[in-house]
Amino acid sequence: MQQALPYKDWFAASASSSAGGTRGSSNPPPGVNEYASVSMMVSENAVIVFARKDCCMCHVVKLLLHGHGVNPTVFDVDEANEDDVVNELSRIIGVDGSGNATRPQFPAVFVGGEIFGGLEEVMGAHISGELVPRLREAGALWL
Amino acid sequence: MNSASTRFVPTRRMGLYDQMLQMDMWGDFKGNNCFDISPSMTLDVSGKQDNESENTSHKTIEPSYKYDEESSKPADKVRRRLAQNREAARKSRLRKKAYVQQLENSKLRLIQIEQEIERSRQQGVCLDTNLLRSSETKNPGIATFEIEYGQWVEEQNRQISELKNAVNCGIGEVELRRFVDSGMRHYFNLFKMKQSAAKADAFYIMSGTWKTCAERLFFWIGGFRPSEFLKVVAPNLEPLEEQQRVDVCNLTQSCQQAEDSLSQGMLKLHQIVSETIADGLLDGEGNYLSHIGDAREKLEALMRFVGQADHLRGETLQQICRILTTRKTALALLALGEYLQRLRALSSLWSSRPSTSTG
Repeated sequence: MQQALPYKDWFAASASSSAGGTRGSSNPPPGVNEYASVSMMVSENAVIVFARKDCCMCHVVKLLLHGHGVNPTVFDVDEANEDDVVNELSRIIGVDGSGNATRPQFPAVFVGGEIFGGLEEVMGAHISGELVPRLREAGALWL
Repeated sequence: MNSASTRFVPTRRMGLYDQMLQMDMWGDFKGNNCFDISPSMTLDVSGKQDNESENTSHKTIEPSYKYDEESSKPADKVRRRLAQNREAARKSRLRKKAYVQQLENSKLRLIQIEQEIERSRQQGVCLDTNLLRSSETKNPGIATFEIEYGQWVEEQNRQISELKNAVNCGIGEVELRRFVDSGMRHYFNLFKMKQSAAKADAFYIMSGTWKTCAERLFFWIGGFRPSEFLKVVAPNLEPLEEQQRVDVCNLTQSCQQAEDSLSQGMLKLHQIVSETIADGLLDGEGNYLSHIGDAREKLEALMRFVGQADHLRGETLQQICRILTTRKTALALLALGEYLQRLRALSSLWSSRPSTSTG
């Protein structure tokens, strides 16, 4: 199990490289900082997965992405911050104008700052061959 | 971006099959998990057909779906609604049939038990009531699924014969397309059925007892392995154009990667459930109920795995349609159908083999 990093250290580390290893959530105190961190994570990372701790589906998504040579940033959602994270993600998704009115489910995958979907969408794109171009566009792949 | 590459599909409209999957989801969930028999509905054992209007209470509340974003005529909407009504009515009839069958079985069992008790009492034998408990009490959602699956297989056999004729007679592409579409829809219907059944009892679907024994040999998370399907079918599709061959090969590889990820996910679930149950073993407190409760919650993920695996199967089928010509897709579906028929025949043969006598 990974140690939760203090907010400041973690933010500085993630800003420098988006293809870094998986990191645990920092669990900063709720409030403005929480919202800021979620938005920033979405926009700063080429690929980011929001998932509940120990979620098997998140594991599957990670493996699929690893298969393409992508090491996604993982934001651990737990009971303490789940509501805040869901609200913030809903806000972000709503802003995208995709017309999607439903609350996001976990795991939630963002590619290139935009909502990509859940495990089903990633799986579907993987099969249809759309996943790699999208990852490349977002700068997660360099081949 | 090189648009000549057939692998890159810029936009993926939600296909007809995806819509069908979404359409009755809520309705099915409601219908299969509770028998809301209104007082006015009498249980007519003679099997009289339900009045269509009686089933409006079961009608699904469809989410507005994106399929008809482009202009569709009102006549289409009416036809579609009629088709949905028919479907809902059919499902309602099936559920009722399953329920009635259960009642009949229970009635017979009761009579048997009463007779046994009477006989034993007369003989003055001590009864162990546990032995008399029926092992037939089934989840209604599962009972419905078993009936529906039997019908699904029959329909599948019929479709395979028709498809074989169609392919051998060399009919036109448009006609062939209709056969391919109904074949695909049939598989998506199965996924829908399995989703309802998995909600009722995911273990049942995962166990594979609803399939024949030879099919169970190749079982993977609630059904057939998509990569296996491709490996069986691909040699029968030759001659293929070079690009198509490459695409099929890539698709097989993608399937294997996706399957491996899901399998790993399942292993993780095993690990999590095991850890949850084993937490505090030998602590001597004897209070493990909360652990069992936690583990039970985690098992809910089983249902999602069945759904994901079926989703993968569906995506693979759809990708085959995109990669290949109509005729080759028809051949692929035909090959798969015949292969499964042979597996079922093998199972029958195995079941009917003479039992070896002892001594």
